[in-house]
Amino acid sequence: MNTDIHRLLDEAFAGVDMTAEARELKEEVRANLMARTDELESTGSSPAAAARRAIEELGPIEDLLGSPVASKTPSIAELHARNKVRPKPGFVVRTTLLSLAAAGAITVAVLMAFEVIDGGPSGVVALGVAAAAALGFVTADSLRQETTTNYAMPIGRAVGWGVATFAIIASLAAFAGFATDSDAVPLAIVGGALALAALGLFSWLGATQTNRHKAWVQQQSHHQAYGQATRFETDIAAASRFGIYSGVVWLVGIGAAIGLAIAFAWWWSLVVLGVCTVITMLILAKMLYAPEPAKDADK
Amino acid sequence: MTETDAFAADLLRGNTDTIVLGVLRRADNYGFEIHKTIREAAGGDHEIKEATLYATYRRLEKDGLVESYWGDESQGGRRKYYRITDAGRAVYRARVSAWVATRRIIDTLLDVKDK
Repeated sequence: MNTDIHRLLDEAFAGVDMTAEARELKEEVRANLMARTDELESTGSSPAAAARRAIEELGPIEDLLGSPVASKTPSIAELHARNKVRPKPGFVVRTTLLSLAAAGAITVAVLMAFEVIDGGPSGVVALGVAAAAALGFVTADSLRQETTTNYAMPIGRAVGWGVATFAIIASLAAFAGFATDSDAVPLAIVGGALALAALGLFSWLGATQTNRHKAWVQQQSHHQAYGQATRFETDIAAASRFGIYSGVVWLVGIGAAIGLAIAFAWWWSLVVLGVCTVITMLILAKMLYAPEPAKDADK
Repeated sequence: MTETDAFAADLLRGNTDTIVLGVLRRADNYGFEIHKTIREAAGGDHEIKEATLYATYRRLEKDGLVESYWGDESQGGRRKYYRITDAGRAVYRARVSAWVATRRIIDTLLDVKDK
């Protein structure tokens, strides 16, 4: 291994103020220089000459570090106005129409499930799947739009979110059909499979998600370290309270589900678990996005 | 460097951000390999300086167009890899279409007739 590179790198960085950024840059440069000297040595340079040449190619370290741009920082409102992207009229119209259609289909499907309107399980499932398709399309379509703060999502990923949304709503439709007619066991199986597929897809999409924010939003979050961080990252107590609350909700829910399943019929447990999911989501929304406690103001 | 070379180098340098995004679009990569890819494509004559590239990585990362992570090499220095983000892909696509449109205009104005 070429050891000259470490000495030359130390010399090059001598006199540089070793901030965290400079240290990180030095390590990045080190690995790149080692790869470059290996390449030069493979073409016949001596180790010492290769190391010297690699360092020379790099140029002065001050150039690499650059100088931070100091300027007056505009307010969020100004930045927002400057970067404003208006939604496309066509997108607004089709989203509104599809949402209305989906809401109508869901309303009729619920009335059918409670046998206020005739339709049976097939009617419930058909309307539910139609609503799922509409909302899935709306999801993918929205993610494809460039907004004031975000770039349009790549098409494959946007379609993925749309499909996952479709699958989760369609699984609810299948379960609703099954609840209407408990002889239709295939519906429960299809519903379960769709729900699992949706959860898998959501997890994968969530885990592989990368930045989609525009540069001005990114910089804004650098300026205010707390501005964009979620509450659970800055307030551990809130995170653990959320854990306790949802634990209690689910314990009570599972107990109630078992009780109802024994006392009445087992599909009642699905209703209870659905309610538990909704409550958990509401607690999450309430706690995760709660305003910052005032104690941060005097820091 | 002749005046023609300087003109070509300027054109290349003006598109450094997009070029780096284009290299990263194929796969995550680290500084040496990114530089090498550009060096080989440019044929050695008008290459983009390493110092320029380091500044570019930092700017792209600050703007959220790329993300970085350290590799797990067991020997030698650990490499800092860069990965393009969804925002980076969106910017890349917008820049490429701007480039294609501009190239057509310049070709027309300069009366270029190859192919």
